[in-house]
Amino acid sequence: MRFDTVIIGGGLAGLVAGISLQKEGRSTAIVSAGQNALHFFSGSFESLEEAPQRLSELFGEAGIRLHYCSGIRLMPLGTFRPAALSLEDVSLFETPGFARKALIVNFAGYHDFFTSFLAEGLEKAGIACRIQALDLPELERIQASPSEMRSVQIARTMDRIWEKVVREVGALLGDEDTVILPQVFGLRDITVPGRIRQAMPARVVFVGTLPPSVPGIRTQALLKRRYEVLGGTYLSGDEVLEADLEDGTVQSVATRNLGTHRLLAEDFILASGGYFSKGLRSNPFRIWEPVFGLDVDFAGDRTAWYDPAFAADQPYMAYGVKTDASLHPLLDGMPVKNLYAVGSVLGATRPEFGSGAGLAVRSAFRAVDAILKEEAL
Amino acid sequence: MNTREFDVIILGGGITGAGTQRDCAMRGLRTLLIERSDIATGATGRNHGLLHSGARYAVNDPESAAECIRENLILRRIASHCVEETDGLFITLPEDDLAYQQTFTDACRAAGIGAEIIDPDLARRLEPSVNPALTGAVRVPDGSVDPFRLCAANMLDAKLRGGQVRLHTEVTGFIREADAIVGVHTRNRQTGACEDFFAPVVVNACGIWGQHIAALAGVGINMYPAKGALLIFAHRINRMVINRCRKPSNADILVPGDTVCVIGTTSTRIPFEECDHVAVTPEEVTLLVTEGALLAPALSSTRILRAYAGVRPLVSSDDDPTGRNISRGIVCLDHESRDGLKGFVTITGGKLMTYRLMAEIATDAVCRKLGVERACETATTPLPGSEERSYEAVARKIWEAPSMAQKAAAARMGTGVSRIRSGKRSDEALICECEEVSVGEINSAIDHLEVSTLTDLRRRTRVGMGTCQGEFCACRAAGLLARAHGCVEREREDLSDFLQERWKGNFPIGWGDTLREAEYTQWVYKHVLGL
Amino acid sequence: MKLQEYTVSKHNFEECMKCTVCTVYCPVLQVNPLYPGPKQAGPDGERLRLKDPFFFNYALKYCLNCKRCEVACPSGVGIADLIQASRIKYDRTRPKLRDRILASTDLMGSFSRPFAPVVNAVTGLGVTKTALDATLKIDHRRSFPKYSGRGFESWLRKRAEEQAAFPEQVAYYHGCYVNYNNPALGKDLVKVLNALGVGVQLLEKEKCCGIAMITNGMSETATRHAKHNVEIIRKAVAGKGLTVVTTSSSCTLTLRDEYPKLLGVDNADVRESVLMAVRYVFERLEAGATLRFKPGFHKKVAYHVPCHMERLGWGVFSERLLRMIPGVEFTLLDSACCGIAGTYGFKKENYEASQAIGAPLFEQIRSVDPEVVACDCETCKWQIEMSTGYRVENPISILAEAIEI
Repeated sequence: MRFDTVIIGGGLAGLVAGISLQKEGRSTAIVSAGQNALHFFSGSFESLEEAPQRLSELFGEAGIRLHYCSGIRLMPLGTFRPAALSLEDVSLFETPGFARKALIVNFAGYHDFFTSFLAEGLEKAGIACRIQALDLPELERIQASPSEMRSVQIARTMDRIWEKVVREVGALLGDEDTVILPQVFGLRDITVPGRIRQAMPARVVFVGTLPPSVPGIRTQALLKRRYEVLGGTYLSGDEVLEADLEDGTVQSVATRNLGTHRLLAEDFILASGGYFSKGLRSNPFRIWEPVFGLDVDFAGDRTAWYDPAFAADQPYMAYGVKTDASLHPLLDGMPVKNLYAVGSVLGATRPEFGSGAGLAVRSAFRAVDAILKEEAL
Repeated sequence: MNTREFDVIILGGGITGAGTQRDCAMRGLRTLLIERSDIATGATGRNHGLLHSGARYAVNDPESAAECIRENLILRRIASHCVEETDGLFITLPEDDLAYQQTFTDACRAAGIGAEIIDPDLARRLEPSVNPALTGAVRVPDGSVDPFRLCAANMLDAKLRGGQVRLHTEVTGFIREADAIVGVHTRNRQTGACEDFFAPVVVNACGIWGQHIAALAGVGINMYPAKGALLIFAHRINRMVINRCRKPSNADILVPGDTVCVIGTTSTRIPFEECDHVAVTPEEVTLLVTEGALLAPALSSTRILRAYAGVRPLVSSDDDPTGRNISRGIVCLDHESRDGLKGFVTITGGKLMTYRLMAEIATDAVCRKLGVERACETATTPLPGSEERSYEAVARKIWEAPSMAQKAAAARMGTGVSRIRSGKRSDEALICECEEVSVGEINSAIDHLEVSTLTDLRRRTRVGMGTCQGEFCACRAAGLLARAHGCVEREREDLSDFLQERWKGNFPIGWGDTLREAEYTQWVYKHVLGL
Repeated sequence: MKLQEYTVSKHNFEECMKCTVCTVYCPVLQVNPLYPGPKQAGPDGERLRLKDPFFFNYALKYCLNCKRCEVACPSGVGIADLIQASRIKYDRTRPKLRDRILASTDLMGSFSRPFAPVVNAVTGLGVTKTALDATLKIDHRRSFPKYSGRGFESWLRKRAEEQAAFPEQVAYYHGCYVNYNNPALGKDLVKVLNALGVGVQLLEKEKCCGIAMITNGMSETATRHAKHNVEIIRKAVAGKGLTVVTTSSSCTLTLRDEYPKLLGVDNADVRESVLMAVRYVFERLEAGATLRFKPGFHKKVAYHVPCHMERLGWGVFSERLLRMIPGVEFTLLDSACCGIAGTYGFKKENYEASQAIGAPLFEQIRSVDPEVVACDCETCKWQIEMSTGYRVENPISILAEAIEI
C-alpha cells in the first residue's frame, strides 16, 4: 500500500502530524502499536512557546477547545504546577490561593482521587476545605468487580447521571465558593464538564485522578476520529517491525499484521515514543531504536543511566535518537533523508522543543513543515 | 495498658525477636518488643525465604542440618499459612561430580533428612523448569516460607497474649543499677518522643546490629557481616526449590515463593559500618543471572523484578580472638556469666529456619533468670492464621465461590482472613491489583499489625510487591494510611520514601521491561499526580 | 551464555505495565460486573495461576474473546490469548448441552439445512423461542440465522470444471456460515474473483474452524478440527501452490492465529497463505488488475470493522476496496464491538450485556443512516440486523453488486 507519508506511532505526536498532513491533502497512514501516552495525559501543556495558536486550531477542528493562560493548575496530590495551554477541563489559576473555601467531593469507594492530599495542599495555600463523599446507587454495579471502581468506568456512568451529581453536590454545598471534583466527566460527550460548570452554584475545579485519564482518552478518540474523517488510515494495534532502506532513504516498512504487504511512502515519521511505548529498547549493555537501528545517545556504562534518588531527573530518560537540525535521525552518523524523528523517541536530545506533550507537538509540527516545504521545492 | 514495666524487654523485631516475644508471652511473661525500624527489616526479610530441609548443611555441618529438619517439620505444623510445601531438588549438572550425590544423600540420611535419589527424567517431569541437562537429582523436603508473614504472625500472637510492641523506636541507652541492666532509654524515630522502659531482663535479638547494642550495654560481641545479594523474578518459574548438588556456592538456590521466585545468593565480607547501606553491584547481578540460569534456563528470559541484599548475622566464636572462626550455629550469651552483666541476654547466629529454637533457648534463659518454670509450647501451638492446613481449605470454608482476590487473601492470611472487617463491598475493592490486596486486608493490617508506613504495609500484605512495584497501589494505600493516621503531611513523605525504596531495588536491574515500568512510574508520580 | 538473552522477557504477559488501558476498551467490563476484566483475568491472574491453578477464576468465561484488549494494549500483551489459554488449561467444567449445540455450527448446519424452510419457520416461532429459552437458555429475543436450502459446497462443486478453466486459481475456505446460511456471499466472491480472471476451488472437505468450540470449552474437538484444516490447507498451499481466501474475519483469525496460539497446532508454513478475500482482491488490483464497475451505481455504505478484523489489522483492505467503488458514499464507523461475539450473545445470561455493548454502534449507524452496513463478520451481521433493522453485507457482496461482468 502506498502513501505520501507513513507515521510510526499513533500518540499525540503521530496524530498531530497525521492530521496536519491530511489537511494539506497528503495521504498518510499511522501505524499504532496499541494505545498511547494520551491515556495518561494530564490535560495541560507545560510550555509551548511558539505553537499555541496552531495547536488550538488543530484541536479546535477536532472538536476540542483549549484555553490558554500562563498560570498554575492543581495536581491530584494537592501540589501546584505551571501550565500553559490546557484542555477546558483544567482550571488555571494565577496563585495557589484561588478560593476562600472549597468543598472536595469524591464518590464513596473510589480510591483513585486523593481528597485528603488535596485538602492538605489547599489548606497550605490558605483555602479552607471540607471533604464529602457521594454514595450513588448508580455506582454500585461497577463496585461488584473489585478492580473496576476506576476513572473510566465511573465516567461511563457519569455521562448518564451528571445532572444528578450536580444536584447532589449542590445540596451538600454550604458557604464554599469552590467545588473540587475528580476528572471523570465527559468521556464521550465533551460538553459535559462545561455544562457542569454552568449548572453548579459555585466555581468547579476538576482535578486529575490515577490513570487512565478521562480527558486524555476523550482527546485520543476525538483526534483519531478527526484524522479518519480527513481520510487518514489509522492502523490500530499494529507494529512496524522493520524498514527497507536504499541509499540512505526509507523505501518501505513492514508491520506485524500486514506481513508481506509492505507500506510504501515518500516520507516517514518516527513517533514511536520512549521506553514505555517501546520506541526505545534497552538491555544491560545498550539502548537502541528497534525499527531502523538509529543512533541513540546514551552512556556506555549502565550505572550512569540511573540516579539512585527516585525524585531526581533520571539520566536514562534524557537518552534518545540523535538527529540533525531538521530532525532527520542519524544512522551510523549519516542523516536518513526522508525520515523524521518526533516526540519522546528524542528523549531530551532536543531541549529546544521542550518535553512531554510539548515536545510531541512542537517536533511534529517541525517535521510536517519540513515535509511540506520539501514537496513545494 | 500504658505500663512501662515488663518482665522482659526484647530488642529487635526480626524473626528471632518476634519469636522470642511470642515464646515469653506464652510462658506468661509481660513482654515488650522494641524495634528501631519495622519488623523483618534485617536478615529476616532479606533472604531466599527457603524452608530449608537442612540438606544444604548435611555434609559440612550435620548439627545444623539436624536442627533444620526438626524445625522444618515443626513449621509445617505451626505456620502452615506462611509455608509452602513444595519439596526441593538437588541437581547434578554435567560439570559437577556425580559421585558427590552419594556423599550428600548419606549425610542427609544421617541427619534425619528424607533424601531420595530420583531419575533425572522424573526430575524433569516433576519440575519442568529444571535444567534439562541434569545428570542426577535428589528429592528433599525443602519448601518456602514467607518471612514477613511468619514474623508478623509471631508478633500478632505475642500481642494477643498481652505483649506490647514499639516499632520505629530505637534504644538510645541502657538503664543500669549497679551491675545489672534494668531498663532502656528509647526514642521514637518518627515522633522524636523519648521513653524509658523497665524490665529485669533485656534480650538482645538484634542480629548483626546486636554488636552495636551490646556495645551500648558495655559488652563486646564480634559479628562477622557477610553480604548476600539476591534477585526476585517477576513470576514463578519453578514449582520446587532447585539447589545444586555440590559444595554450597554462589547463586545455587532458586526458591519459588508466593507469586515470584528468588535466586541467590552471593557472599561478601563487608565492614560493619556498611551493614545499613548494602547495595547490589552489577557484577553480582551478572553472577546471579548466569549461575541461576544453570539451575533453570528460563531465568535467562524472565523479567527481573528487584535486586536486594542482606547481611548474614554470623558471629565470631568467643574462643577465637581473631574473629575468623565463624559459627553458623545458634549462639546464646548470658552476659552475667560471660561478662558479669546481670539482666542481659544475647541471642544470635542461627538462621530463619531455626528462629523458633533460638527463641526457645533465649526464653529458657530469661525464665531461668526470672525463676519461672513453664515449658515451651511453641513447637505445638499453631500461629494465628495457621489453624487450617491449607489456604484452599480456608477459602472454601468462608466463600462458596471465592473470587481470585478472596483466594489471594486466604493464601496470605490463612484463617486470619476472618479479621477482615466485613463482607462489605467497599472492603473488597482492590488497592493492589498485581497481588490482589483489598481495602479490607489493608485496614485489617493497619488495625492489628502495627503499620505506620507504606513500607510496613508492604511487609504485612504484599502491597507494592507485584510487577508494578507500587506504581498504582502506593498512592491508593497512602490515602488509606493518611485517613488511619490522620496526618497527610507525614503520608506525603512516606509515599516518597516508599517510591525511593522501590527504586532502590529496581535500578540495579534497570533494563528491558523493568526500565519501561520505571519510566511509567516516573510519569505517573511526577507528571500526572504531581508528587 | 550471553547476558543479552535475559534482557527481554520471553514471557509475553510480563510486558504488561499494569497501565489499565485494556480495561478502557473491554466491552464486557462496561456491562458485566461479574467479569474481572482483561487485566485481572489476563496478566494479573496469570501470575497467581502460575503459583497454583487454584487461583483460576470461572468468571473468565465472560470474556468475549473479541481481542479489543490486545489491540489497545500499548505493550503488545496477548491478553485475550492468555485468558482463553487458561480456560483451556484449567477450566474443568463440562460445557452445557446448550453451549455444545451453539458451538457446533457445522453439525447444526448439516442437520438443519435439508429442512431449511421448516427449521427457519420453527426457530422463528415465538413458541419455539420460548421453549429454547426455557430449556436451553438460548435467549428468546434472539433472531436465529436462517438456514439455506442448498449448500454452497454443492453449488460450487457443480461448477468445478468451469472454475478450473480460469488461468489463475485460489482455494476458498467458506466456513459454516456461507455453506449453510448464506451461500450468496460465496457466489458473490466467485463472481468477483472470476471477474479478475481467478477460478475458485473448494478445499478438500473443510471443517468448521472451531472458534465457537474454543470459547465454549470444547478445545479438544477444536484441536481435531484445527489439525484437519491445517492439513487440507497445506495440501492446497504446498501441493497446488494456491492461496486460500476467506470471507469471515473470525474464521480467518482462528485459522491463522488461534490454531498455533491456543490449540498448539503449528501452521507457520501456511499462515501467510491464508488471506481474507478483501486483501487478496485489493492486492490484485494494486498489482494492476482491473474491475469494470456498473455506471450509475450509487450506495451509501457505513463500514463496521468487526473485532476480529480489527485484531487482524486488515479493516484497511475492506475500507480501501469500498472507497474505490465509484458511487459509494463511504463512512467509517467508530471501531467498537457489536456485542454478539459469536455464540456469546445467543446465551440467555448474556443477552442484556450483549445488547448494551452494541448500543453505541447501533446509535452511530442510525445517525449515519446508510443504505447498507458493510462488515466482514457473519455474527456481527445478525446482531446489527436484528438490533437496528439495517441491512448488513460483506464488502465482497457490495463489490460484487457494483461490478459488471
